Amino acid sequence: MSAPTTTATAPPGAARPVRRRRGPFAKSLNRRYVITAYLFLLPAFAFFGLMFYLPIANMVSSSFRTGAQADVYAGMDNYTRAFEDAAVRNSFTVTVIFGVATTIGAIVIGLTLALLLNQKLRGRVVFRAALLVPYLTSVAIVGLLWRNILDPQLGILNRLLSDLGLPTQTWLNTHPLATVIGVTLWMTVGYTMVLFLAGLQGIPEEYYEAATVDGAGPWQRFWRITLPLLAPTTLFVSVMAVINGLQAFGQAYIITGGGPAGRTDLYIFHVFNVAFTSRDFGYASALSFLLFLVIVIFTVVQLRVGRRGEVQY
Amino acid sequence: MATPRPTRRQLLHWTGAGAVAGLAAPWLSGCAGAPESETSDDATGGGGGGGEFTVYWNAGHAYAAYDEVIAAFEEEHDVTVNMQKYQWPDLRTRLLSDFASGSAPDVVEEPGGWVQEFAISGDALSLQEYIDADGADMGFPDDWQPRTISRNSFEDQVYGIQLHLTCTMLLYNRAMLDAAGVEVPATWDDFLDAAIRLTGDGVHGAALNQDAGYAWPWLLQNGVKYYDTDSGELLVPNDKAIEALQFQADLVHKHGAAPVPTPGTDYSGPQKLLSAGRAAMILTGPWDLGPIQETSPDLDLGIAPALTHETQATVQAGTSVFIPANAKNPDLSWDFIKRITTLDVERAATEEVGMLMPRLSWVEEPVVQQDERLAAFAQGFDYAIDTTEELRLTGKSGEVTELFKVLYQDVVMSNTPAEQAVETFLSEAGRVLEG
Repeated sequence: MSAPTTTATAPPGAARPVRRRRGPFAKSLNRRYVITAYLFLLPAFAFFGLMFYLPIANMVSSSFRTGAQADVYAGMDNYTRAFEDAAVRNSFTVTVIFGVATTIGAIVIGLTLALLLNQKLRGRVVFRAALLVPYLTSVAIVGLLWRNILDPQLGILNRLLSDLGLPTQTWLNTHPLATVIGVTLWMTVGYTMVLFLAGLQGIPEEYYEAATVDGAGPWQRFWRITLPLLAPTTLFVSVMAVINGLQAFGQAYIITGGGPAGRTDLYIFHVFNVAFTSRDFGYASALSFLLFLVIVIFTVVQLRVGRRGEVQY
Repeated sequence: MATPRPTRRQLLHWTGAGAVAGLAAPWLSGCAGAPESETSDDATGGGGGGGEFTVYWNAGHAYAAYDEVIAAFEEEHDVTVNMQKYQWPDLRTRLLSDFASGSAPDVVEEPGGWVQEFAISGDALSLQEYIDADGADMGFPDDWQPRTISRNSFEDQVYGIQLHLTCTMLLYNRAMLDAAGVEVPATWDDFLDAAIRLTGDGVHGAALNQDAGYAWPWLLQNGVKYYDTDSGELLVPNDKAIEALQFQADLVHKHGAAPVPTPGTDYSGPQKLLSAGRAAMILTGPWDLGPIQETSPDLDLGIAPALTHETQATVQAGTSVFIPANAKNPDLSWDFIKRITTLDVERAATEEVGMLMPRLSWVEEPVVQQDERLAAFAQGFDYAIDTTEELRLTGKSGEVTELFKVLYQDVVMSNTPAEQAVETFLSEAGRVLEG
């Protein structure tokens, strides 16, 4: 079967390429290949169309409507309402704090763990696996686990603290957002650690050897070699962490129910309540679309800033 | 003769054609007509003609007593009952998604409040015609607790039938009270005194729930209405609402007689503390009797009537069943409801799990009268109030309830002065009601 090329490869020494004319057979063959290719792509197009683009279009359409069935045209009312809504402002603030803290935490703790477990330590494979296990566990299970551990009255942590003669905690009441951030980091740092480990193992050893010969100490090697060469990994981790942070839901749903008094009312959890408790799908759609825009802006800015920092040796 | 091997091109074509056929088949079959179960239109309700009958049910209410009813229903109508069991929040999410997509189950159990909400939105079917035809035979409404009719009605039409009826009462550890020489409290002052005296050695005299709904017995006992239809105001009278909320906060933060409730989505915290011997008194309903019995069978549990302050009152709760407006065979759905709400089934469910029921004749049943705990709860029906009934009719109860949750947590968990928190609530909830 000949390739459907239109231009023959020029033989060495030829003055100019010989253009092969396409006959009706070649054209028909080409069309068939194109059709076949589209047939293969059709399931993917259909899947993305039905599962992603159609719902997004539907959401945008609903965001201009109101009522229990989201069937009454409301113009921009839902959007103007969103900017005036104190509960939305609160949940957005909570979510930004959560997103920033989990992103910075994931990078700092993940990188630290990766640097430690990149050393030739005995049992490092076991440590790596153990740190990754929470990430492989459902957020519902992690949430319930920590909810029970942290329960001030019946939780195991307070029993332990009490047995050790230490003051007991009521962190879910006194520091609810910090506690939820901590649980989220406990769950996710294993994954960022694995990503940083892969990045670290891609840095050639010769760079470190050359730097050592030049008199660079461990701290200089980290700042001048490791960190710059991990920039693509750091960028990927930060983009994903920000997106996951802004979209977090399960933590509020399982651990705190958004409380106390809205202090862990993550944005998506708030949208969920608007949609399914207040049954205001139009407003919930507008809030979802606003978050979509925020995520797009954050991601574009991160990618632009992050790519400026990439280096190659 | 050798078997001809397909060329690569043929394989490509066949695969592509297969993909198209696979995608097109469901749509084409959808265009060809509805499945048999959807077209089986038995107006008499006498038979389902095969197919599936879908019921959304609470996961905690899957009693053997209902299984028998379902088996008989399946046999009579030649249908398969698909009992889909959910926790309430998941059931609501599923149901609203169904309504949005235009599909719906045949019968839905709801936790109280949804019937009127869905009647207003046009998603629930009026049962009035069925009741006019069959009400006398099934004893409806005469044999139902009077307050269960209005909470399931909208504009003089009945949209739901009460399935279970419960209320919140004072549950206490009798041994702890006896050991401390404390009388069973009957008033707020008694309760506060008892809670303080019972607190110590890792035990709290009382435990409040993190769920804001459990604040309402106190508010009702102080004469507070959630929504006053005449004035259009919330938490009326406001000063009494402030007093009731502050009383609960003081119990926790001033007197230390109750632990700070932990925010979450689980309402079993106080029950677990009572079961573990870490709290002496809690306010709860019969749904906690089973878990207490299961985890602490030796606990000497007492059930006292609701407390009195301005008045004696408590919260009425319980589930109802309704038919979605676009259920495929409402007659069949109505027959299911009739069967599952008979006195015999109520009695069987009570004998099985101790659930409380809405029929007046159920209260007279020996199984109720001879059971001290059931009888105690049944007495509460006389003064139990459905707190959100008027609010639901505004169509804004979901948003207002969310704001009340913030109010309760702000006062009882974060110890914000009740006066300040109520003022914030009234301002925000007022805006919601104004639309």
